[in-house]
Amino acid sequence: MNRYGPFNWILLVLSSLVLLFLVAPLLGLFIQTGLGEFFETANDKEVQASIWLTVWVSFSATFFFAIAAVPFAWLLARKSFPLKSVVHGIIDLPVVLPHTAAGIALLGFISRDGLLGKAASSVGLNLVNNPAGIALAMAFVSLPFLINSARDGFAAVPERLEKAALNLGASRSRVFFTISLPLAWRSIITGFVMMFARGMSEFGAVVIIAYHPMIAPVLIYDRFSSFGLSYARPAAVLFIIVALVVFTILRLLSERRKSVVTKSEYAES
Amino acid sequence: MLNLKNISKKLGEFQINDIDLKISEGTYYVLLGRSGSGKTQLLELIAGLNKPDSGEIWLDNENITRKKIQGRSIGLVFQDYAIFPNMTVFGNIAYSISSGKIDKKDVNERVSKVATELNISHLLSRSTHHLSGGELQRVALARTLITSPRLLLLDEPMASIDASLKDDIKRLLRRLNRQGLTIIHVTHDYREAVSLASRVGVIHNGRIIQEGTPDDVFRKPVNKFVARYSGIRNFFRVEFRKENGEWKAVCKDKMIFNLSGNSYPPEGLLILRSDDIKISQKMPSLHSGNCFKGIVREILPSEYGMEIKVDAGETFYVDISADTYKQQPVSELSEVFISFPREAGIALQGSV
Repeated sequence: MNRYGPFNWILLVLSSLVLLFLVAPLLGLFIQTGLGEFFETANDKEVQASIWLTVWVSFSATFFFAIAAVPFAWLLARKSFPLKSVVHGIIDLPVVLPHTAAGIALLGFISRDGLLGKAASSVGLNLVNNPAGIALAMAFVSLPFLINSARDGFAAVPERLEKAALNLGASRSRVFFTISLPLAWRSIITGFVMMFARGMSEFGAVVIIAYHPMIAPVLIYDRFSSFGLSYARPAAVLFIIVALVVFTILRLLSERRKSVVTKSEYAES
Repeated sequence: MLNLKNISKKLGEFQINDIDLKISEGTYYVLLGRSGSGKTQLLELIAGLNKPDSGEIWLDNENITRKKIQGRSIGLVFQDYAIFPNMTVFGNIAYSISSGKIDKKDVNERVSKVATELNISHLLSRSTHHLSGGELQRVALARTLITSPRLLLLDEPMASIDASLKDDIKRLLRRLNRQGLTIIHVTHDYREAVSLASRVGVIHNGRIIQEGTPDDVFRKPVNKFVARYSGIRNFFRVEFRKENGEWKAVCKDKMIFNLSGNSYPPEGLLILRSDDIKISQKMPSLHSGNCFKGIVREILPSEYGMEIKVDAGETFYVDISADTYKQQPVSELSEVFISFPREAGIALQGSV
């Protein structure tokens, strides 16, 4: 016991307190939820639809925005341009904004009077109270996680490798898809999962854009404000379990993909 | 073949200045320079990874200054090889020809041919993660050679490999050059230039300060910097005087060197190659110009045999072969005589 000095003991106690702070409410939530009410909520069609909506809308938002955000991250990692630091600041802006304020700002943009809202209306799409609007709200607040992680991943790829590929006659796009992207893959996947997770858990911005259809965080809030804690708790537990399962599956799939890539590289020869 | 005309490029605080260089087909050109002298930047300009601010690059009578890197047909092997870690050795070598335009069977044949030539066929299915420096070097060369470049650029190709493998790589590079491939090889090590180059350039602070055959550059360095790069360690600040029709170099009013030649500046540096100086325990009965008595201060094994540091009023470094040392062993603190012919002294004006 004397092997550890007082400083280490203080560190241990402080770290335990932090962990306890994080785990205790979740643990309490699970303990206080009866099995009966849990299964009843799990069979509730409204809850099921809400969780499904949350998962697929967040996934779609992450997927479609990644198509533009990943090349943008490469640009940020590789190129110098005027006002680059301002661009970095803009990317991080949604993280520091109050999310309800972000929702209000976005509402002005996507409502029928807004720029994007008008364009969507012209093709018969009303973004407010629509999954497309929810996706935009989720993406708005969670995009920095993907961009920053992918940018760090690209920055960690030695530029010489890209130069070597160009020298071997590869086009810029081939270099991107065969060298930069595969080597930054781990960081991009991490950013993807982070953005997806952040999108799923978003409440403030989404509730301004769309109370209905209800995503899970809005449904939990709705049940809490209308019927109280005991009615909201099983829905919260169910959503937490689904979120954990989804992230675990995504992590496993990304790990599996990495090993498949390695095997196919061997097979190439 | 390659013609650089007044190439200049500013890179932050550093600048490549007015580089003029002509390299004819089949030349093995070694560009010597310290790190930070601009040699890698010059290679990148030739390869097209950067564009010069001014000047022109001509290859085979074609102005390629603004030509895309992919269309130049110039192969560049990076100092750390830049092997793609997400591909096997095969994937690396086949990279330039596996974009779908070439039949898969042809790809396999071409990879197999170049791998056999470079003796790495057994590595083709391997990941690149556990290859040795020499193996990575060969993979990088194979990957470049498969593109049949008109010109091969090598950035410090010996810097990251074991000494035991250097001779193998040198043999390989000589063979490629004999097959007609023009090579530009940048290095900080003059010994690579001595053993490989048909022409040598010395680059310093973004300028080529001397250029010519190895004999021109190493026997007649234009200044102290080049002399140092030629492995010369004997430098003496002297005044040149003509006495009784013969030129002499006077060092600190106490040591006088006899010189041949017709004209010298009033003052400057006198340099002597270490291997031009002979050492003996007895005063040589016949010497052709200069002989001094001194004391051996240090004896160190060197690449050529032994390097002996002699204090003869000024410090002299003498290189002798291992055989000579065996026949005439000298010991530290022993008295010796050093001698060298009049022609051995090379005069330089000023210093760098």
